[in-house]
Amino acid sequence: MTTPLVAMENVTVRFKGAQTVHAVNGVSLTLEPGKVLGILGESGSGKSVTLKTLLRLLPERRTEIGGKVMVDGKDVLALGAQELSDYRGAVTSMIFQDPALALDPVYTVGEQIAEAISRHEKISRREAMKRALELLELVRIPSPERRLKAYPHEMSGGMRQRAMIALALAARPKLLLADEPTTALDATVQIQILLLLRQLQRDLGMGVIFVTHDIGVAVEVSDRLAVMYAGQIVETGTVRELISNPRHPYTKGLLAANLHGAKKGERLEAIPGAPPALNEPPSSCSFAPRCRQAEDACRTGLPPAIRLGEGRLVRCTKVETPLAPA
Amino acid sequence: MSLSLHAEDGLDRGGAGTPLLEARALTKHFPLGRGAVVRAVDGVDFSVMKGETLGVVGESGCGKSTTARVVMQLIPQDKGEMLFDGEAVGSSALSLKDYRRQAQMVFQDSYASLNPRLTIEDSIAFGPMVHGVPKSGAILRARDLLARVGLDPARFAARYPHELSGGQRQRVNIARALALGPRLVILDEAVSALDKSVEAQVLNLLMDLREEFGLTYIFISHDLNVVRFISDRVMVMYLGEVVEIGPVEELYDDPRHPYTRALLSAMPSMDPDNRTMEAPLAGDPPNPINPPEGCRFHPRCPQAQTVCSKVKPALPPVGGGERLAACHMEIPGSGHSRAPALEDAA
Repeated sequence: MTTPLVAMENVTVRFKGAQTVHAVNGVSLTLEPGKVLGILGESGSGKSVTLKTLLRLLPERRTEIGGKVMVDGKDVLALGAQELSDYRGAVTSMIFQDPALALDPVYTVGEQIAEAISRHEKISRREAMKRALELLELVRIPSPERRLKAYPHEMSGGMRQRAMIALALAARPKLLLADEPTTALDATVQIQILLLLRQLQRDLGMGVIFVTHDIGVAVEVSDRLAVMYAGQIVETGTVRELISNPRHPYTKGLLAANLHGAKKGERLEAIPGAPPALNEPPSSCSFAPRCRQAEDACRTGLPPAIRLGEGRLVRCTKVETPLAPA
Repeated sequence: MSLSLHAEDGLDRGGAGTPLLEARALTKHFPLGRGAVVRAVDGVDFSVMKGETLGVVGESGCGKSTTARVVMQLIPQDKGEMLFDGEAVGSSALSLKDYRRQAQMVFQDSYASLNPRLTIEDSIAFGPMVHGVPKSGAILRARDLLARVGLDPARFAARYPHELSGGQRQRVNIARALALGPRLVILDEAVSALDKSVEAQVLNLLMDLREEFGLTYIFISHDLNVVRFISDRVMVMYLGEVVEIGPVEELYDDPRHPYTRALLSAMPSMDPDNRTMEAPLAGDPPNPINPPEGCRFHPRCPQAQTVCSKVKPALPPVGGGERLAACHMEIPGSGHSRAPALEDAA
């Protein structure tokens, strides 16, 4: 078996303050090199926090991180300051929802990309600019020579998103983290960026973790999916398994709420209620208060993680354990 | 107490055959100075029949929200007119104040829409009080409405907006929109900011209220799945113009305008074995400051020909019924090689 590119083990993230927020509550996941994992969840499910933990982007003073995070053989939580800045960009890099905030408004796109390259390699400025141009070509920005000298505000939303992808790829990372990178884009632009990411991932052999609230987007880019709710992964499997045979009641509800194949005029099977506040660590199934199938066992103890197959987990008491192989 | 006023007080003047709202050549331009003008809405015609839901789709800058604001008269149009149940809005027959009682709007940002210093029952009662309902009556009605949108008045009436979740706040906004017993409700991305599981609840609520109060909706959204689900007819906008309009299933199953086709095929497939392989369009939607001559879509259209860059296509009916598509390929004898011949039209 190959060593996974990413291995998170029982990761917990707590934000301390007037009230402690238990944002991530025991997340374990692995990603093989060159694969795409989609993390699907609603606001407050902990999907972005999980992603930021992989890059240690959370404010150190107010954040308590537990568990183990290994990326490319490195213990991410143990990295010192110098190691961390070598790690960021070169091993793991990230793209965000809003490129207008992620790019620096006072430098040209070319300067920003060149800076990222020379941060990790001994390279002349000229050479770095040449590489920046190649990167803009790679992400298929039209008339790249001209765009090299453009400032972020001179570009359209889709173009800025391409520029941010080029910036993230500057130091040839092995792992790309994508936090809702197409959510702010128009439909016809979104599909262009999704196709671009898919192609770059294939051509460069990167591992990608793609966080989104949109099932359609997740299906379009991912090999495997992890569904998060209240800081926990409630179900994992291949895209095909989750779409055609969802087992956790929350996953089923999300699919129904996507309206794909919903009958006109009929009421939607909505999940009642709202996600829980995360002031306490979960002591029972977090979804139980909204679940139609919940019974006493769901409200008294944490649901077991039931293994349905290789990489196929469901965290629900009501799912029957498959018979042990004879 | 009945909240559905219009049936009893004879407000339905025009009868079932008269559209509830008819917009004729609505135009709204925003000058930027130095001669530049944003042509946000540029000659838009449409009608909404009584009791129907008209979906409006299009990408950023297509003018869908400006259209909504003009229809609400939050901003005045530059040109064009609106008829509400057959009467011109702002005329002696239908004053702006009367019109506004009958047309209400729900916005995307549920928090920004509510006064943070008013309790939610006060927010809901505010409109009726402006229109002369005594405070005690207005509060009673507010509580009744809260119950109807699924918020227990005993628990919620005295709360402030920041004490509610996004889904609950949007329910309050819907209750407030209904407080005056409107006939037309404009929903401008009203469910877009909600999480999927909550969005489904609010969509169910909107369908229930539509039935209960006999409402007519204009439902604006960028989410094509939601629009398909809730609308009877759909209007597709591009750069300030209507490019296609028609019954929802016909339009989704057989889009006639190349932009509608592109928009629909940009939807994620939801099928891992059948992923989208090619983007239907390149580049971003252009901005409406200097829209292209002729058909505004022609620079991005895979089927564009010479005529498309020169002549602006009208919005002719296609395939019978109420299907309209502003494309030279649908206009007989337009000069586009794929246009039907002139004789067929006769």
